[in-house]
Parts: sequence; C-alpha cells; structure tokens
Amino acid sequence: MTEYTVFRDNPGIDPALHAWGWEIPIYLFLGGLVAGLMIIAGVRIVASRPRERQAMVCCTIGPLVGLALLSLGMLALFLDLSHKIQVWRLYLTFQPSSPMSWGSWILLLVYPALLANALVHLPETAPALARRVPLLVTISDFLLARSRIVAGIGLANIILGVSLGIYTGILLGSLGARPLWSSAVLGPLFLFSGLSTAATLLHAILIMGMRDEERPAFADFLISSLSRLTEARAPDASIKPALTIADNSFLTIELGLLGLLLLGHLSSTEAHQQAAALLTVGPWAAPFWVFVIILGILVPLFLQTLELRNLIRHTLAPSLLVLLGGLALRFILVGAGQASHWSVLVSN
Amino acid sequence: MMAPFYKFGLFSEEMSLVVAFVTGIGFGFFLERAGFGNARMLAAQFYFRDLRVLKVMFTAIITAMVGLFMLSRLGYVDLSLVYLTPTFLVPQIVGGLILGVGFIIGGYCPGTSCVSAATGRLDGMVYLAGMIGGLVGFAELYPLIEKFTKITALGKVTLPQFTGIPYGVLVFAVVLMALCAFMAAEWAEQKFGGKAPGKGALLEPVLKLTPVRGFALALLGLSFIAAFAGSPYRGHAASIDTRELALSAGTKADHVSCTELADWLIEGRNDFLLVDVRDAKDFAEYHIPGAMNVPLATLSADFAARNEKVVFYSDGGIHSAQAWLLLKALGFKSSYMLFGGLEEWKDTVLFPKTPAANAPTKEQVDFARRAAVAKHFGGTPMEAMPAAAVSTPSAQPKPVPALTPVPAPVVPAPAPANAPAAAPKKRKEGC
Amino acid sequence: MSDPNPHTLAEKPHMNPYWAGLGLGLVLLGSFVVMGRGLGASGAFTTAVATAVHTVAPAHAEGNAFYAEYLGDGSVSPLKDWLVFEVLGLFLGGFLSGALANRLKFTIEKGPRIGNPLRLLMAAFGGALMGIGAKLALGCTSGQALTGGSTLNLGSWAFMCCVFGGAYALAWFVRRAWL
Repeated sequence: MTEYTVFRDNPGIDPALHAWGWEIPIYLFLGGLVAGLMIIAGVRIVASRPRERQAMVCCTIGPLVGLALLSLGMLALFLDLSHKIQVWRLYLTFQPSSPMSWGSWILLLVYPALLANALVHLPETAPALARRVPLLVTISDFLLARSRIVAGIGLANIILGVSLGIYTGILLGSLGARPLWSSAVLGPLFLFSGLSTAATLLHAILIMGMRDEERPAFADFLISSLSRLTEARAPDASIKPALTIADNSFLTIELGLLGLLLLGHLSSTEAHQQAAALLTVGPWAAPFWVFVIILGILVPLFLQTLELRNLIRHTLAPSLLVLLGGLALRFILVGAGQASHWSVLVSN
Repeated sequence: MMAPFYKFGLFSEEMSLVVAFVTGIGFGFFLERAGFGNARMLAAQFYFRDLRVLKVMFTAIITAMVGLFMLSRLGYVDLSLVYLTPTFLVPQIVGGLILGVGFIIGGYCPGTSCVSAATGRLDGMVYLAGMIGGLVGFAELYPLIEKFTKITALGKVTLPQFTGIPYGVLVFAVVLMALCAFMAAEWAEQKFGGKAPGKGALLEPVLKLTPVRGFALALLGLSFIAAFAGSPYRGHAASIDTRELALSAGTKADHVSCTELADWLIEGRNDFLLVDVRDAKDFAEYHIPGAMNVPLATLSADFAARNEKVVFYSDGGIHSAQAWLLLKALGFKSSYMLFGGLEEWKDTVLFPKTPAANAPTKEQVDFARRAAVAKHFGGTPMEAMPAAAVSTPSAQPKPVPALTPVPAPVVPAPAPANAPAAAPKKRKEGC
Repeated sequence: MSDPNPHTLAEKPHMNPYWAGLGLGLVLLGSFVVMGRGLGASGAFTTAVATAVHTVAPAHAEGNAFYAEYLGDGSVSPLKDWLVFEVLGLFLGGFLSGALANRLKFTIEKGPRIGNPLRLLMAAFGGALMGIGAKLALGCTSGQALTGGSTLNLGSWAFMCCVFGGAYALAWFVRRAWL
C-alpha cells in the first residue's frame, strides 16, 4: 500500500490561521505564572496558620502581583483578538467541548479568587493603604475570623490555578492541525513551567524585599530603586530555601515532561517526528537547547543547588534565568508549533 | 572520523549554534578564571607588574597551535579546512595600534569586557556600550574608508607560506619564544612589581620538576618533534592518484542533480559555492541565482579556499566536468558538478512539463511541487495548474514565456529580482 | 564546609595563569577540531548592531556595505550566527566562573588615583576605539590574536605585535588610571 500526499484545501488539516505574534506566547507565559502564584498561595493558605502567613511573600505580595500580571496577560490576549467588540459573546454560552469556552470562564473566576486571596492579608502587605481605607482592615479581620472561608479561598485558588495552568497547554493542544501541539503532556508541562516561574518570581521578590544589610550584594544594585515598594514589613527570609527547593523540584519535573513530550513525538507518526525534530535538530534547535534547556533549566538548577548549600553567594540570576526560560519555552513552542504540519512535503 | 567535524557534515548549521554556545561557556570560564574580568589585572601587563595577559594568551596560543599541528600531522584534522582570516596588512597594523591604545585606555578587549560585565563590573558594561558606539561610528564612516580597509590584500596567507620556513619549524620557534618570554615575564614581575616567582611559576626556586615545568617541557618536546615532522597539510606532497580519480569519475557520487540544487537554493543553504564556468558574456545573459562566475580559463587553485564545497555548472556537462577534474587534481576534496548543466536546469527546474491528464497521482503531485519550484526561480511550468499556484507575487518574471510547444523555452532574463545577489553572501566567519 | 552567612563568602584567588592558558588553549583547539574555526567576540556585537540598525532603518542598513555584510541574505535571522551564540556562552561562562569563585560584585575596577566618572569615561572611549580598531583589523584579541596566532596567520601576528606596541606606547601616559 502506498500513501500519497495530495494538495488540498482542507481547513481542518491545512490551517489558514493568521500567524500568532508575540501576544499569545506572552499571554501563555503570564497565565502560567499567575497559575503558579495561585497554587503556591493556595497551598500556603490551606497549610499554614494566619500568623505564619503574615510575612510570607506568597500570601501577601504574591496575589497582588498575580492580579497585575493577569491583567497584562489579558491585555495581550485581547490585542490578539480579531473581533475585539465581540468578546462579551463568549460569556453568553458554555460549551463543554471547547477549550476556548473553558478558558474564558476560568479566567472570569480567577479574578475574584485572586482578589479574595489578596484581601486576606492586604493590611499587612500595604499598611499605608490600609490606614487610609479602614474597610480593608475590616474585610481582612472578617475573613481571618472565619477560617472556613479562608480555607475555601485557598482551595479555590489551588483548583483554579491548576485549571489555568493546564488550560494554557490544552489551548494549544486543541488545535489538532499542529502535530507538535497534539500531545497530552503539554498541559502538565505548562503547569510545571508556570509553577517554577512563580516560585522563582516569589524568590526574587523576597530578595528584593529583604533589609539592605541582609540582601546579597549582587542583587543590591539592580533593585535599590525598587526597594521602596516593599517598605512595609520585611518578608520572612526563612522561607527562601523552601522556595528554592520547590523551584528546583518544579524545574526537574519540567525537564522530565519536556523529555516525555519529545520522546512521545519521536515514537509517533512521521509528522510528529518531524515536528519534534523542529525542536531537537531543526530550525528551532539552537534557541530551544540554549534558552530553554541550558539557560532556563540546567543553569538555574545548578546555581540554586549551590546556593542552597551556601557554597556561592546568593544572586538574582537564577530567578531571572528561570523567568527567561519560561518565556522562551512559550515563544518557541508557539513558533515551532506553527511551523509543524501534517502534510509534510517529502523531499527527495 | 575526520575533523573539523562541522566541515565534514557531522552536524547541521543549527546545531553548530549549540556548539558555539558551549564553546563560549568554556571560553568565558577560563577568561574569568585567569582574572581577565578585572581591568586592573589586565592593565598591570603594560606596567610589568603582573604579566598574566602574556602568560595566559601565549600558553593558549601554543597549546592550540601544537595540538592543531599534531592532530593534523597524524591525519585526524584536515588543516586546510580550518578557517583563516584573510590578511590585509596595513589595515590590520593600523587597527592593531588603535586596538592597543583602546586596550590601555579602556582596560579591556571585547572578550574580556563581556566577562567583566557578566561578573558585575560597571566599567566593563560601560566599555561594551562604548564599543557599540564605536561600531556604529565605524559603520557610518565605512563608505569613506572602504578603500583603505581593502588595501594590501594578501589573501589567506600563513607565516609558513609567507616566510618559506616549514610549518613545524615555526611551531617550534614560537613555543621556544613563548617559553623564554614567560621566564622573562617572571623576572620582570620581580624587578618591577616586586613579586618573586612563587608556587606554580616556571622560575619557582625549587629544584624539581613542578607540574608547570612538566607542562612546559611537554610542549617543548612536542614542538621539537613537530620541527622534523614535515607538513601538516594532507596530501600536500602526494602525487595524483589517477586510478582513484578515474574510479570516482566513473561513479555518480560527484554529481548534483538540478532538482537537488534547486532545493538547496530554496532552503537558502550557504555551505557551498555555486560556480558558473562559462564566459562572462553568457553569465551576464543568464545564470542560476547565487552563482559566481569563474570562466574555465581562469580557474586555478586559489579561486576558493580548499575548505569550500564547490558545485560547477556549464551549458552542457563537458566544461563543468573539466573544471571538476582540474580541482580534483588540485586536491579539492568536495567539488561537484551539476548533472546535465544549464540545459537540464531549464528542462527540469525552470520549465517542467505538465504530465498527461491521465497520469498517476504521484506524477501529478510531483509536478505540482516542481511547478512551485519553477515559479520560485522565475521560470514557468509548461502548463500551469491552478491548484498548484503558489503565490509569489514579487517573483513573477516580466516576460512570461508563451506556452510554446516543447523545446527552446525563453530564458527569463535577467535573474529575478528576489533572487540572491550574484556572489553568494557567505556570512563572515572571522571575529 | 557551609558558611553561616553566604553573603560574605570570601573571593577565591585567580587561577595559575599557565593552567588558565592551558584551559583556554584546549577550548580553542576543541573549537578548531569540532567547528574548523576559532573563537571571537567583536563580530557578535557587529551583528547585533547591524540587526538593530536594520530593524530601525532597514533601507539605511541595506544601503551600507558594512552592515549588509553582517545581515546575510535575509533567509534566516542574522542573530542566528555562530559568534552571537558563542558570545552568549561567553557571558554565561564568565558569570559561572565568577559565581563559583565568589567574585560577583557590582563595582568599578580602577586605580586608587582616579575618580569613578573619569574611569567610566575612559572605559567608554577605550571601548569605542576598540570597536573601530577591531573592525579595521578584521578581529579583536580573541578572533585575531588567539585564533590567528595559533594558526600562524600572517595578518594576526602583525596585528598582535601592534596591539602590544600600541598599548605599551601609551601606557605611561595613562598610568594614573591604573597604578
């Protein structure tokens, strides 16, 4: 039996999408980051006592940063839409089989969950603001007095965070026309990449919020102008190793998932193999290996391991590299995915 | 396995970038280890306080030089494939002086400033910014000084070629000179910097074979062998093996088919030179995009570096075959000829014939692809199929040849506007 | 082994110059064997500059023969270049070495008799000269002196002598900056 590739015009197989520019990768990156922030904060809310949480970056500044980043991501997504005025129509229906519909509803729920999360400890995060708006203290006290509500907020953050993180991967996977994206690993991969970027962002915020004399010398210069942001209460530096350990685990899992993604493709159809080859040896290989694997995963793993053992000075560099790697992963997967194709011209 | 691995096609250009990154890590690591991230350490060289720059640089140079010579002599590396920056003597002398002045004023050279910036030195960062400014300035002034940058062009020439001294003897001389310079440097450090030769110095005041001395002796010994080892170039003295030549001429291994070449050109591969051996007039009339013109009569060993992969073509096949034979005899390992020449190119690439309507699907599909290729090169399939039309608006040639019966299609003149310029733009390889 | 205060870990001394030179030489030799080319630095910045100018003013960059040489034929991004990736690695390698030896520090390297503004001004001026000189000479200390030196390239040896000559000739006049 012989198979021929014939020229055809089937939008299900030969998509005529407009090329995705910078907006979608940025949105996916920020979405994953916010998902990670929500999960970490949620776990802390469920697992720790209020007193302990008061000085934890993940429960105080984390949700606020999450709100800001989510808004930026939504802006990027909105910029990418062709019919900007029609956005509201997404919320007139719920299609259980459409990832786009799931996504828009998840995003709608993420905002209140994050906001509630932020409100629990807002007086500790921004004392100056709380003095001017006493209502914030009232809300916070009200919530803290009812541990069930707080636990509910924590659980909601965890569930919505996991959904959002997986959804950013599934969104790509649902486009069947691109072999590179047709893998179930993409969801968990983006989830763990999001978790690692979130942990590292919190770590970076922690370093920046530390008192001047405790702060590593190398970080000092970069952030002296930003340090006023966190004048309120110096975050608890004791959770720094916890964040680094968590980040190392997330990075290791991410590396494993990337391996699974590639192995899965390489043992699949020829179109899948060629799609994976785009990343491993093809036109995306150099940025993939250099920015995602080496700079984004291996080097920060190495540096953070040494930092944990107190063998080298602590710096912001691993955090910046992990964030860079997460961003590069989205850009490369979106770019290479659009270059992958089912009907591969057989070259002689 | 033969080295350089990249030039023998062990990995693709894309993967070479990953190799570049890893190489760079090693480069930066040792520069920083040596203390070159620190401008004071570098500048101390020029006041005879600490001659690290000399020691590190020349140790690196002689290590790589001796290693490269030995590997080439033993036949593991083809030395003629290692890239050489062409020499422009006067611009390089002037450039060297300016660079030296910049070195002592700024405290760094480009490579070391990267390392210093990466370890947080503000002066290194400012230096890099200044260098970018200098590059922009140079580029803007370039039209004025372009002539000057091209004077005294000597081509790719090495010291052994220039002086006539055998390669190995020069290797030995350089190693000897470097080792003497190291000892003089240690003496100078004591005299001007008050730094007595300590542990790890060549002149360390102990009477035993320290590791550093052992290393120096090993280099000296190896280079002494090199002085008598003969030429490191492969097949330099060997005579032409006509039998082998005849054998390889009998196979098709050195042919490149027109469709293959078309694919290479479309992919934008730049790892080969496409050479038109017809005379200049024919070349001006039509040539394959990206080709360079070297008429057969002017062909000699120095028209291209031996490290180039060369594809010849002429009208038919005869002249390109002659050029191919000539270069084979001159020791070019990778020279190819376009099978069928320009005539075949026109028939199969520029003006492919439409298959019969009842031809099998495979043939139809094949044709659709070839039609797209033809459009790319400004030709036209003999009967265009609408389904296969690939929209390349800018590539449409002005005179679309009429649908004449079969032979003698009009050659689209001149080469289409979007085709690569006549000389293939090889990216700069040097620093 | 572990220091209670990781922010005050002591700087480690520099490597013996001969061993550092051996390491550097082996990296260079590896580059010859694997790639058939040596090391470089300034070329990457030229590519970056050419790409930046091309992004801002495409017509200007294409009209300039110098930029055009670094832009390639446009089939791939000019930044996908051997030297660009090598210099990225150079930054990382320097950083890693500095991190492992606890030499990471925001500071300005200079002699005790010169102020910061003047030192930075000199750095910028020296850098600009270096940019011009490297382009005239078709390479810098890495691309010409190291690489060309070990392949016994005629132009590189002439260049190397002139670099040392130029620096020694001027050293006395700028001694306040360093000593």
